[in-house]
Amino acid sequence: MSDFFEVFGLRRTLAIDGAALQRRFYELSRQWHPDFHQAASAEAQARALQESAHVNAAYRALRDPLARVEYLIRLEAGRATKEGATLKPKAPPALLAEMFEIQEALEEAKAGALDEAARATLSAQRDALQARMSETEVQITGPLSQAWDAAAPTARPAALKALEEALATRAYLRTVIDDLANVLEEAGDNETSGSESSRDATASPGRPERVGGMGGHIGAPHQ
Amino acid sequence: MAYSEKVVDHYNNPRNVGSFGKDTPGVGTGLVGAPECGDVMKLQIKVNLETGVIEDAKFKTFGCGSAIASSSLATEWLKGKTVDEAAKIKNTDIVNELKLPPVKIHCSVLAEDAIKAALADYKEKNASAAAPVASK
Repeated sequence: MSDFFEVFGLRRTLAIDGAALQRRFYELSRQWHPDFHQAASAEAQARALQESAHVNAAYRALRDPLARVEYLIRLEAGRATKEGATLKPKAPPALLAEMFEIQEALEEAKAGALDEAARATLSAQRDALQARMSETEVQITGPLSQAWDAAAPTARPAALKALEEALATRAYLRTVIDDLANVLEEAGDNETSGSESSRDATASPGRPERVGGMGGHIGAPHQ
Repeated sequence: MAYSEKVVDHYNNPRNVGSFGKDTPGVGTGLVGAPECGDVMKLQIKVNLETGVIEDAKFKTFGCGSAIASSSLATEWLKGKTVDEAAKIKNTDIVNELKLPPVKIHCSVLAEDAIKAALADYKEKNASAAAPVASK
């Protein structure tokens, strides 16, 4: 089956005209809509259903600039794997250390009662992280996407790696922001606008509730 | 999704949670993360500088149940092993022990990465001290 860029007759570039994409999506949707194939053979009907689903998936993956980057990476990584050169993004070590520190501080905050000052600190921290995440997203959909589009074939792995690293950074920031928001919410902070849980559920299937999951057990005696 | 009994056990009673001072002699620290879900894992070993045996191991993981269980199990396995033996722990061993489903295999990979990072950190810090032990 064709990849999602091919579905819309596009090259594998990240700059996509949203309006044109939508127009083409409507055309293809009509073309493959099962209702228009009811008189066809069972085989043709099955084909129409399959194509219709594929077009929907393609549109979902490409209409959002960030989802588009994620799809491109999956697509390219699949190709790279076949060629034996997997790309494995490593988060910047400094970022990891920072996220770990924030999580530890959060854990302490959870253990004790959140007073006004502690809540203000966490709140400010959340806002600062939110701003950094937005900045990272702007980088991904802006300059980094443009760099991929402009890259010569030999420069593509580097451009892709930069995109992957920025996406990884965004994932770490999002996790911490969500955890911060949860703690603030539990502490009765109503003002959590702007950081409603945006974590994609499919990004971490099966993740149980994190809040309290670990913190409550630290120091529990091991029999 | 159903977690295996062992995952639940490690999750509810994580072994060896805590940390050592980063600069304590014989301590190696590994800090790794999973960009897919934003999990962070810190795993530390404390090596007896005379024998090269890992005397103690500690971890702290902020992540899902499988990530916590994987690192908890890793610290149990590390204790009593030599640095060279520890390097042979594979993520597949963890997958088998905890019966992790395919979507959670990356948690075991994270634990293996953490072990490797801790060992590398230990070796780097003790490059000069480790040499005489190796050539005993």
